[in-house]
Amino acid sequence: MSPMSDQPTGSTAQSCRLLSIDEESRLFLRLRAQVAWSSLWSMLSSARLRLSLVILLSAMFWGSLYGLFVEAFTFLDSLHAEVISLLFNAFFSSLMVMLVFSTGILLYSGLYCSPEARLLMTLPVREETIFAHKFQEAIWFASWGFILLGSPMLVAYGVVRHSPWTYFALLLPFMVSFVVIPSTIGSICCMAMVAWMPRLRVHALTACLVTMCGLGLWLAWTSLSSVKADSMSAAWFEQTFSRLAITEQKLLPSWWLSSGLIEAARVGKNPGESWAALGEAVSFLALLVANGMLLQLVAGWLAARAYRLGYSELVGEVPARRQRPIGWFDQMLMNAGSAAGRPLRLLVVKDLRLFRRDISQWSQFVIFFGLLGLYFFNARSFNYNNAYASMIGFLNLAVVGLILSTFTTRFVFPMISLEGRRFWILGLLPLHRDQIVWSKFLFSFLGGLLPCCGLVLLSDVMLGLPRRAIVIHEICCVVLCMGLSGIAVGLGAKMPDLRESSPAKISSGFGGTLSLVVSSFFIILVVVTAALPTHLFLATHAFGADAFARGDWLAWAGSTQGLLASLSAVVTLGFLATFVPLVLGLRAFRQLEP
Amino acid sequence: MIEFDHVTRTYGPKTAVSDLTLAIPRGELFALLGPNGAGKTTTIKMLVGLLRPSRGAVRVSGFDLVKDARSAHLHVGYVPDEPMLYEKLTGREFLWFIADMFGMPRHLATKRIAAEIEHFELGDFADDLAESYSLGMRQRLVFAASLLHDPDVLVLDEPMVGLDPRSVRIVKDLLAARTREGMTVFMSTHTLAMAEEMADRMGIMVRGQLRFLGTVEELREQMAIETTSLEQLYLELTNPRAARPSGEPP
Repeated sequence: MSPMSDQPTGSTAQSCRLLSIDEESRLFLRLRAQVAWSSLWSMLSSARLRLSLVILLSAMFWGSLYGLFVEAFTFLDSLHAEVISLLFNAFFSSLMVMLVFSTGILLYSGLYCSPEARLLMTLPVREETIFAHKFQEAIWFASWGFILLGSPMLVAYGVVRHSPWTYFALLLPFMVSFVVIPSTIGSICCMAMVAWMPRLRVHALTACLVTMCGLGLWLAWTSLSSVKADSMSAAWFEQTFSRLAITEQKLLPSWWLSSGLIEAARVGKNPGESWAALGEAVSFLALLVANGMLLQLVAGWLAARAYRLGYSELVGEVPARRQRPIGWFDQMLMNAGSAAGRPLRLLVVKDLRLFRRDISQWSQFVIFFGLLGLYFFNARSFNYNNAYASMIGFLNLAVVGLILSTFTTRFVFPMISLEGRRFWILGLLPLHRDQIVWSKFLFSFLGGLLPCCGLVLLSDVMLGLPRRAIVIHEICCVVLCMGLSGIAVGLGAKMPDLRESSPAKISSGFGGTLSLVVSSFFIILVVVTAALPTHLFLATHAFGADAFARGDWLAWAGSTQGLLASLSAVVTLGFLATFVPLVLGLRAFRQLEP
Repeated sequence: MIEFDHVTRTYGPKTAVSDLTLAIPRGELFALLGPNGAGKTTTIKMLVGLLRPSRGAVRVSGFDLVKDARSAHLHVGYVPDEPMLYEKLTGREFLWFIADMFGMPRHLATKRIAAEIEHFELGDFADDLAESYSLGMRQRLVFAASLLHDPDVLVLDEPMVGLDPRSVRIVKDLLAARTREGMTVFMSTHTLAMAEEMADRMGIMVRGQLRFLGTVEELREQMAIETTSLEQLYLELTNPRAARPSGEPP
């Protein structure tokens, strides 16, 4: 046998051969089609409700965004035409940065940490084919948000500008060709970093993230804090957008995309002008496609040389051992209170440690609540009047609740299911099963309370709300923390998925989707119940007692009694949302047979 | 068939495999033994191309695992300790994917897939999605997939984990038959009895070094202790406080 030959000898010679790159690509395409069809079939046969809910909620979300953007573009259309260009450039350039990072991180996990990559690396397949296969996955997961968020915006723009049909036909090619560029850049950085900077990888990533966050904060601060004009006025928009002119760089793909779209949407005064605009748009599209293809070639070339090397480097890394002494906070928590409550506290401390050591959990927590904090901190610069301020205060409360609900669904809901896999440990301990469920509830409730109440307080102080409004918002916030924790823990115990080890998959199952939907309804109910009487109360004080007819229920709702009644209703709602799911969950968990 | 040529692999300051030189000819069943952390998994990973040696070369059927990985992989079948399957593919679809990946002709693939399904008794669940399989079912399917292309070299990492006694018998019989036909088997295991029963030769690794290479009889002679138990010999050899076996270089 000649080692130089590309074809095998011996017994293997009769049965196999190396595939051409086209054959490999077709094979992976077939694999993807088979897996997609099988997943769709499983969903249609066993998770119809979940699928319907996802489609319905996505359609509602798309429709709401479309309506919002139609209103926004109708308003902006009256301003200078360049405002649209600035808006598009700011949106697409920030999206570009996000896509570079998100695809890089997703590809890192797909190419270097997935069991599938481990299997494919032992098969006679080209490294560039494995890269292409995993890149398709990464680009899909990284960009579906862009499609969902960007498509209503761009369709609305076309509708408001009465664009020709060619604009709508070009939308998808424009979006896809744009997404490929930052995603490929992220992939190239990821592979190069893993292969040639294994030791620097974590530090480089951290430095990049910190720099980007710092840049984002600086941009947000300089754009919003020093605008002098009245908020929401045309001058305010122009001043704000002029600060975002930094995103209008002609070498950036985001500029090619926004310029191409604006040209495609342009209706000429005569056919010749329209054709010229279309020609411009197509040339921008060609520019995006050509650059995307060039970057794909570079990425493929790099994959052939760096992927296996990087994989080997990564497999060869030994995780650093670190002494982890018991922290003073954990110690204090374990020893506080009676001996009878100690098992419960130990479980809470265990969950706290797992949370602290899981970077994906606390980093998302910090990023989302940090961004909210930044927005609330800047709320003063919008100079809202009193009527707006109260409404914005309640909207901010709802946003805090919605963010918390995504965390309770994503991280708290799967906790019981994950305990199921370790049930042999907990099952042998002298614990009552109820204590496990209660410990999850306490962990979620107490963990959410401080950041949420702090954020709501920050928002109210920045908006300059009176003390009475702050107290109402804080009561609502406590009720939200309690209710959302009850819903997530209760439904998590009622509908556990003991076979699944991935919290992401558990939370995206039927139980997780239901938990998110119920949580959303609960937030809306609490905020509306508290907000309505507050506004009526403000209206009564602003326009006097004659604002409503005597004996009218609106007059009663706007009175102090009405306000107290609404608060009582909010607290009752909170208790119901907490204890009904918890009781159902406790009953189910007592009878659980893992 | 398999050659480790002065192979060293380091993880930072730690040497996982040190200057391993080993040649395993066609038709031999070789068992690699050793305590946890001895370097067995690193050796296997280098043999299937998941890990590159820091120094030296690993070759399968004459193909270098670093310089010509694809050609080398064409000759290797691999059964990992944790079987990976596509959850949303059926067992039969997975076997077809592997057969196509190795460029097997259609008629041959059809014949081999049917034969392996029968051999490993997969018929009852071959058309179910892999997400419903138990560990034993998965392991049997991965065995079937690794043998589809009739590889020159079969690499097994703890192959019997999760298998029931009947499946263990099937695998043992199969390995014996295939090695008689010329296939080389490289197996890492902690099950001494299986190594003793099946292996033509065995290697015992301790802290990255091959401390013994030969048959059980040769090990007994080398250790010069009065016992017939492989377990006792193994424990003596891998005991960090034990004396070196005679003949081992200082």
